[in-house]
Amino acid sequence: MADLLTEIEAQIVGAKATAAKQNVGVICEIGDGVARIEGLSEAMLNEMIDLGHGITGLALNLDETEVGVVILGDYTQLEEGDEVRATGNLLQVPVGKGLLGRVVNTLGEPLDGKGRVQSDVAYPVEKLAPGIIRRRPVTQPVQTGIMPIDAMIPIGRGQRELIIGDRSTGKTTICIDTIINQARLNQAAEVAGDKEFRPLYSIYVAIGQKQSSIARLITVLEEAGAMPYTIIVASPASDSATNQYLAPFAGAAIGEWFMDNGMDALIIFDDLSKHAVAYRQVSLVLKRPSGREAYPGDVFYLHSRLLERAARVGEQYGNGSLTALPIIETQEGDVSAYIPTNVISITDGQIYLETDLFYQGVRPAISVGLSVSRVGSAAQLKAMKQVSGQLKGDLAQFRELAAFAQFGSELDAKTRAQIDRGKRIVELFKQKQYSPIPVEVQVAVLWAVQNGYVDDVPVERIKDFQARLTEFLTLRKAELLQKIAQEKVLSDALVAELKTVIDSFKQTWK
Amino acid sequence: MKTIRQVKREAKHLFLLCLVNGSVDEGRVRQVVASVLRIKRRGYLALATQFERLVKLERLRHTATVESAAPLPSDLRANVEASLVRLYGPDMSTSFAESPPLIGGMRIRVGSDIYDGSVKAGLAALEKSF
Repeated sequence: MADLLTEIEAQIVGAKATAAKQNVGVICEIGDGVARIEGLSEAMLNEMIDLGHGITGLALNLDETEVGVVILGDYTQLEEGDEVRATGNLLQVPVGKGLLGRVVNTLGEPLDGKGRVQSDVAYPVEKLAPGIIRRRPVTQPVQTGIMPIDAMIPIGRGQRELIIGDRSTGKTTICIDTIINQARLNQAAEVAGDKEFRPLYSIYVAIGQKQSSIARLITVLEEAGAMPYTIIVASPASDSATNQYLAPFAGAAIGEWFMDNGMDALIIFDDLSKHAVAYRQVSLVLKRPSGREAYPGDVFYLHSRLLERAARVGEQYGNGSLTALPIIETQEGDVSAYIPTNVISITDGQIYLETDLFYQGVRPAISVGLSVSRVGSAAQLKAMKQVSGQLKGDLAQFRELAAFAQFGSELDAKTRAQIDRGKRIVELFKQKQYSPIPVEVQVAVLWAVQNGYVDDVPVERIKDFQARLTEFLTLRKAELLQKIAQEKVLSDALVAELKTVIDSFKQTWK
Repeated sequence: MKTIRQVKREAKHLFLLCLVNGSVDEGRVRQVVASVLRIKRRGYLALATQFERLVKLERLRHTATVESAAPLPSDLRANVEASLVRLYGPDMSTSFAESPPLIGGMRIRVGSDIYDGSVKAGLAALEKSF
C-alpha cells in the first residue's frame, strides 16, 4: 500500500498542467439543419464541429467572419448563443471487414440492431481519388450474371458503369442481381478452397429511398445468402438532406478500405439523382449561389470527385479495386437533362433501360443501341468474347430491320433470317430477376446460338430450350462447364466437345 | 434594394479605411459612423450594423479575458499579459475576472481561441472519456 501511495505521489509531482488551445464559436443563426457560427477562425473545410449535446456538425462554408455548418443530428436541441468547438478532425466513418453483413447509416452507426460495428479503423469521408501513377488498366471482369450485360456491355473491376433509366425499369434489380452473383461466386470459391480467386465485396448505398424499399432489398439479399458479403449504407428519404448528401462519400470510404488492402469491392449508388437533389437543398440553405435548375455550380464536381474514387490500383499501392455502379433516374426517358448528362460524361459507359422494352416484356429492358461499356471489353473473358463478338451488331441490325419490316413490305431471305435470329437473341436475353446465370453457362448457350442451333427453334419456345439446355449442361455435363470456367477460352478441343454435347442435347429436345 | 452581399462588401471597404498600420483607428471609426448616419444613403442602417460587427470582431481579436477561480497575484497577471502580447501582438487589452465555478486553474479567451486549464474543463474531459 505504501508503495502505491509513493507511486501516486511521484506521478502527481511529475504531472504538468497543460491547457491545449481550442477554437470556439457561437451559434448566431440556426434553421433547416444549418447553423451559421460566428468565430471558429481556424475551422477547416469538412471539419467536424462539436455543437454540444452530443451533436456534431460539418463545416461546409468558410466565410470571412462566419462558418456555415450542416448539422448531423437533431438540431432542435441547439439554441442561438450556444458555444461550439472545432474538433480538428475531418468527418470519418468506421471501415473494415467488420461491416460486412451490416446495415449502417451515413456515420457508420448500426441500423440493424445487431450491436456495435466491429471496426478499429476509420477513413475520412472526403478523400482525394487515386492519381494516375497509382492506377492501372481495367483487365479483370465483374461477372454480373446478367447475360446481355456480360455478353455485350461487359464491366471490369475498377470501372464506373452508369445504370440509367426511367422509374420502375429495373435499375436496382440489375444491381441486386450483380450483388447476388458476387456472393454466389465468393461462396463457390470458398467451398472449393480456390486461393487464386479474388472475392468481390459489395456495398449498396441507398440515397433518399423509402425505408420499405430498403427493407425489401435487405430481405432479398438475406434470402439469397448475399448479406455476408454485402454492406448497406442507408440514408432513407426520412434522413436529413445532409446525411443523404454524405452517404455516397461514406460508402466510397468503406469501399476504399477494401481497395487499399488488396481486395476488390463493388459500390452501388442508388441513386445519384436524389443525391444531387439533396446537395441542392444543402446548398440552398447555405445560401450558395444557384445555377441551372437551382443546382449549385459545383454539382458536376460533386459527382466527378465521388466517381473518380473508383479505380484499380497497382500492386505497390494495394493491388485492389473499387468498381462503381451509379444509378440515375431519368424523367420521361430524357437522357439530355442536366444531372444525367453530367454523370454520363463522368462514367466509363452506361446501361440504358427503356420503359417501352420493359412493358414489351423484355426484361432486363436494356437498350442495346444506347448502352456502351468503354473499358470493359478489355476485361471480358476470352471465351465470352469468342461467342459474343457479333451479338451487339446483330441486335442493333435486328432493331433497325424490325422497324422497317413493320411497314409490311416483302423481305428477302437474308433480311428475314437476320430478323429471325434477332428475335431469338432478344428472347434468349430475357432473364428472371434475382437469378443470375453463371458465365460458363452463358458461354455455352451463346455458342449454341452463334452456331445456328436455335435457328429452327420456334421463338416462343426459346426460353424452354434455354432452360432445358442449362439443366442438361449443369446436371449431366458439369465437367464441360467446369473446363470452360477454368480455361476461360474456347479451345478447339472444347469447341469440339461443346458441339458433341449440344448435338446430343438437340436430338433429345422436343 | 441593396443585397446583403453589397452591404457586406461596402462595410468591409469602410472597415479597411479605418485601419492604420494594421490596427483600428478609433478616430476614423467614429468619423465613418458619423458620416454614414448623417448622409443616410439607402440601406445605411444595415451598413452601420455590419460595420459595427466588423469592428466588434476586430476588437475581440485583440481582447483577452482571463477567468480564474480566485483572484490572481499581480506577478502572475503580469506574466499572463506578457505571454499574451508575445502570442497575439502588442495592442492586446487584457481583462481579469473571477469565476468560482472553474474550481481551480485558469481559462483565457482571445477572439475565438480558448486556453482552458481549469479544473472544471479537466473534469468535463474526464467525464467525456468515460
